Amino acid sequence: MDFTLKIWRQENAQAKGHFETYKLTGISPDCSFLEMLDILNETLINDNIAHPVVFDNDCREGICGMCGLYINGRPHGPDDGVTTCQLHMRRFKDGDTITIEPWRAKAFPIIKDLVVDRSAFDKIIQEGGYISATTGGVPDANAIPIPKQDADEAMDAASCIGCGACVAACKNASAMLFVSAKVSQFALLPQGKPEAKRRVVKMIKKMDELGFGGCTNTYACEAECPKSIKKTNIARMNREFICSKCTSNEQ
Amino acid sequence: MKLIKLASISKKLCMGALGAFLLVFLPFHMGMNLCILRDDGGEWYRNVCHFMGTNYIVKVFEVILLACVVFHIVMGIILAIENKMSRPVGYAVANKSKTHSGSKYMIWTGGIILVFLIIHFVDFYFAKMGLVEGKYVVKVEKVERAFQEKAMKMQQGQLKEADLKELQAQYMAIQSMSREKVSKNEKYFINLNKEEVQVVCGKDFEDYEPDFYNMAKEKFHSPLYVLIYLLTFIILAVHLFHGVSSVFQTYGLNVQMYQKAINGLAWFYAVVIPMGFAIVPLIVYFTK
Amino acid sequence: MATLNSKIPEGPLAEKWTKYKASQKLVNPANKRKLDVIIVGTGLAGASAAASLGALGFNVKVFCIQDSPRRAHSIAAQGGINAAKKYPNDGDSIGRLFYDTIKGGDYRAREANVHRLAEVSNNIIDQCVAQGVPFAREYSGYLANRSFGGAQVSRTFYAKGQTGQQLLLGAYSALSQQVKAGTVKLYTRKEMENLVVIDGKARGIITRDVRTGEIERWFGHCVVLATGGYGNVYYLSTNAMNSNGSAAWQCYKKGAFFANPCYVQIHPTCIPVHGDYQSKLTLMSESLRNDGRIWVPKKKEDAEAIRAGKKTANDIAEEDRDYYLERRYPAFGNLVPRDIASRAAKERCDAGYGVGTGKAVFLDFKEAINRLGKDKVAERYGNLFQMYQKITDDNPYETPMMIYPAVHYTMGGIWVDYELQTTIPGLFAAGEANFSDHGANRLGASALMQGLADGYFVLPYTIQNYLSAEIYNDRIPTTTPEFDSAEKEVKERIQKILDVKGKKTVDTLQKELGHIMWDYVGMGRTKEGLEQAIPMIQALKKEFWSNVRVDEGNECMNPELEKALRLADHIELAELIARDALQREESCGGHFREEHQTEEGEAKRDDQNFMFVGAWQYKGENETPEMHKEDLNYEFIKVQQRNYK
Repeated sequence: MDFTLKIWRQENAQAKGHFETYKLTGISPDCSFLEMLDILNETLINDNIAHPVVFDNDCREGICGMCGLYINGRPHGPDDGVTTCQLHMRRFKDGDTITIEPWRAKAFPIIKDLVVDRSAFDKIIQEGGYISATTGGVPDANAIPIPKQDADEAMDAASCIGCGACVAACKNASAMLFVSAKVSQFALLPQGKPEAKRRVVKMIKKMDELGFGGCTNTYACEAECPKSIKKTNIARMNREFICSKCTSNEQ
Repeated sequence: MKLIKLASISKKLCMGALGAFLLVFLPFHMGMNLCILRDDGGEWYRNVCHFMGTNYIVKVFEVILLACVVFHIVMGIILAIENKMSRPVGYAVANKSKTHSGSKYMIWTGGIILVFLIIHFVDFYFAKMGLVEGKYVVKVEKVERAFQEKAMKMQQGQLKEADLKELQAQYMAIQSMSREKVSKNEKYFINLNKEEVQVVCGKDFEDYEPDFYNMAKEKFHSPLYVLIYLLTFIILAVHLFHGVSSVFQTYGLNVQMYQKAINGLAWFYAVVIPMGFAIVPLIVYFTK
Repeated sequence: MATLNSKIPEGPLAEKWTKYKASQKLVNPANKRKLDVIIVGTGLAGASAAASLGALGFNVKVFCIQDSPRRAHSIAAQGGINAAKKYPNDGDSIGRLFYDTIKGGDYRAREANVHRLAEVSNNIIDQCVAQGVPFAREYSGYLANRSFGGAQVSRTFYAKGQTGQQLLLGAYSALSQQVKAGTVKLYTRKEMENLVVIDGKARGIITRDVRTGEIERWFGHCVVLATGGYGNVYYLSTNAMNSNGSAAWQCYKKGAFFANPCYVQIHPTCIPVHGDYQSKLTLMSESLRNDGRIWVPKKKEDAEAIRAGKKTANDIAEEDRDYYLERRYPAFGNLVPRDIASRAAKERCDAGYGVGTGKAVFLDFKEAINRLGKDKVAERYGNLFQMYQKITDDNPYETPMMIYPAVHYTMGGIWVDYELQTTIPGLFAAGEANFSDHGANRLGASALMQGLADGYFVLPYTIQNYLSAEIYNDRIPTTTPEFDSAEKEVKERIQKILDVKGKKTVDTLQKELGHIMWDYVGMGRTKEGLEQAIPMIQALKKEFWSNVRVDEGNECMNPELEKALRLADHIELAELIARDALQREESCGGHFREEHQTEEGEAKRDDQNFMFVGAWQYKGENETPEMHKEDLNYEFIKVQQRNYK
């Protein structure tokens, strides 16, 4: 298969970026998207065309959340429910032009080419995305039964990989789906209850501070989430937020 | 300033609450409008207008409603600006993600609705406030009473020369009132402009009301106005379809159990309400 | 030959750890604040150690190469985590978990360490549940279990097919809490390039910031290496692209012994290789073997027809299918340990019965779907099936999956004693980076257990024991000559690579190394093959240093340079793997020497001569390293031939 690639190139955070167009021929349809970029980079080096395109990637099996490209107007490309590394070239037509951009958000500054800094997500988690259980000194694992449905729902929320596709897809670059997945997970579990009221307020405050937008319920995040995290998590977080604001004793 | 400092969710909650309040108002307004269609020469409609124009509870609500509209708009603009700022550099390829219908364009549909609201206010609400001239309606009974009072005064010789002239003109005007200016049940003089009111009722008569019925009918006879009206309600449908389901999401109420009911409500607001509004100008226009 | 002191406490096996904890030295809270601990790596072991040590009050600095600690490759573990909770009442116990792990490791693991692992396994589950890890549950609300390879009980706890992810996120959240509390300082996108040793003790590290190329110095009263394994030496593996053995190798070069490098686990259920451009192999969880049946055609002509595309799996009649694992190992069937399942697959494919490209066997769910219904199968393995379909474009509900073994885990690693301390005082190694608990083969769902055991429950004790003597030592400024020279070494190495300006890209050379390793040091090894491989690797090293091409400089984000730095170390590490494999004249666990097998083709151990840990000591550039032996004494377990029949 042959492709024309329009790729965003940007030397560093301060530099002004631009699109470069590269032609790539003879790609197998079984090739993954990132493998296609590997081949491109080999070609760029060997043919002395340009420095290789820098893009984040690690596990290449859709779980680490490292990869993330905005491909032809959709985060993680045209396939639903997959990360960029699991996207295969058979999803494109021979001769297609593919435009590849980095995640765009104020809270995700570009480091180089297609690599962005997502440490804002870590900062949100640090505000309250945990249950304070110091090592040791916890009850037996079966001491508190948890209804299967709650556990399953918590698991679904917890399967977020923190890739940032929700932010990239959202017209407001909002991190609501990401934050709500974590808030939901703990809201559903009895272990998460003691800190629930503080957690939701602090995490949202941090999200706002970091420059993410607000939610306008467009649900592009849900449509693009490679782990199919549901928008009902956002509703649950809103509920938690209202409940916290109305009943919390803390200032 | 305080508004801006609120958490993004809090702003959204305000937005939703204000929107929800406005939603409650819409069916009332629609019901009122539908009265126009009743073939009673505007009798029902006039009564409703009279009630709305004079009842104190309604007046209180009117103020609240206006405040809601203003805050809903202010909030919407603040949120839109903030959200815009969260992505300073946009994408080269426009986003193709699946989104909830209408959700991406709320600020724009809202803006169009605002423009329509301004036109609507200038046409109707300002007339009520007396800021612009409209058409007016007076009760025949009241005019007659006022006339009789003046006639009494005349008999007692209390009237000056000028007043006498006015009284004569008034008498002539009432006598020669055309059939169109008298309501079907002959209880009202209708569709009077300011000048006519002054002639028919006398200069110091104040007990008249705007004749919304005839004002509306007149507007609805203009094809341009009907077109604008219809387009606006299509836009409103889009705005409401997202707005209604969105408010449940914002308040965290869209639990799986109620999802169907919420969708139903969204469709009701997106289809029935705008249809209810839109049907009035259409019927008026095509049956003139 | 120097003897290695493994510092195993005296006393009965079951009391060793308790006794150790009771007699170890502690550091008082005021002093903890004055002690710096460097932790490299944020996988299960690194993150849990950082969180626990931070919570204790130590000053922790934690480093990772990705943009967030949550991306460490522990996240990709699918199947589950073992613990001797005995919730299903099926006869499990700490003793049995201990025994299974030792036996699974083919009697090449240290008894005391493994028993400690089995002891703390239960605490791990308690800890994780308290952290909000959403383990699978029964309708009763109690935790669910499933079975895994090498065990006859159900002791594996799981969270869908994403157990590693959930456990890592649990550790990551605990770490995040400490970052917020200020006890842990988090440094992302920094790769450890060198170890700083002062007066014989590990005192710090040198890192390279992968965003800017900046070389930085960090001081710590001790250093914990939790950098994972070196599977990527083989190029194609189930490891992540950035997983590497570089940091461990740098420590080896500074004097830490490297133990059992030849023990490399080849995982039986991976999606087969399908092209040259392929960058990695994807694992299909071992849990699939619970319900999937592995087979190849009984007749060679059927296999040939399938390879040629003339027949499909569904065309082969039931009686013409060879369920070779069930045939050879009736007691464990499809749930034999990984090394055995892998070798059996290779044996069938080498004999000409392979399907697909010839290097694949079927993993069939038809029987499970008939027995349980499609919904139940989807509930158990849905996400794995979906992943398989995304990659191969085949629907595993209709046609059997195709699988083939691939490099997955390295049991070998930095040598550590009972306290997880390496031969360099103050340098600790945890998780896959050390060699300690899995012997020659790791059982499924044991890696997660070991990583978390080391981080949550072992290091917080043993490090304190070490640091209790360090309270008299103030922080050392990073301007000492030792830091200077460590940094200089790094800068010189980088410059040397950049100066080569050759013709071959790093990936090309990496692939060449991978081919040598897979062909000669892979699943079946021979004396001749290994003797051929060593000069080939040495030649590749020469080629690397004379013909590698890395453009752009150090002062920017330059993945080619990162890869080159790692490859330089991997080539050297590859040679050590080959040497170790050559020296070990027996077959055990992941190490299979074709000369040493029974008539039935099973691995033949030589307990007489090889019941030891081979710990290699660096002797200098281009010098032959020296091997030290740590004899393994089985006091409590009767050593026997591994039998899963």
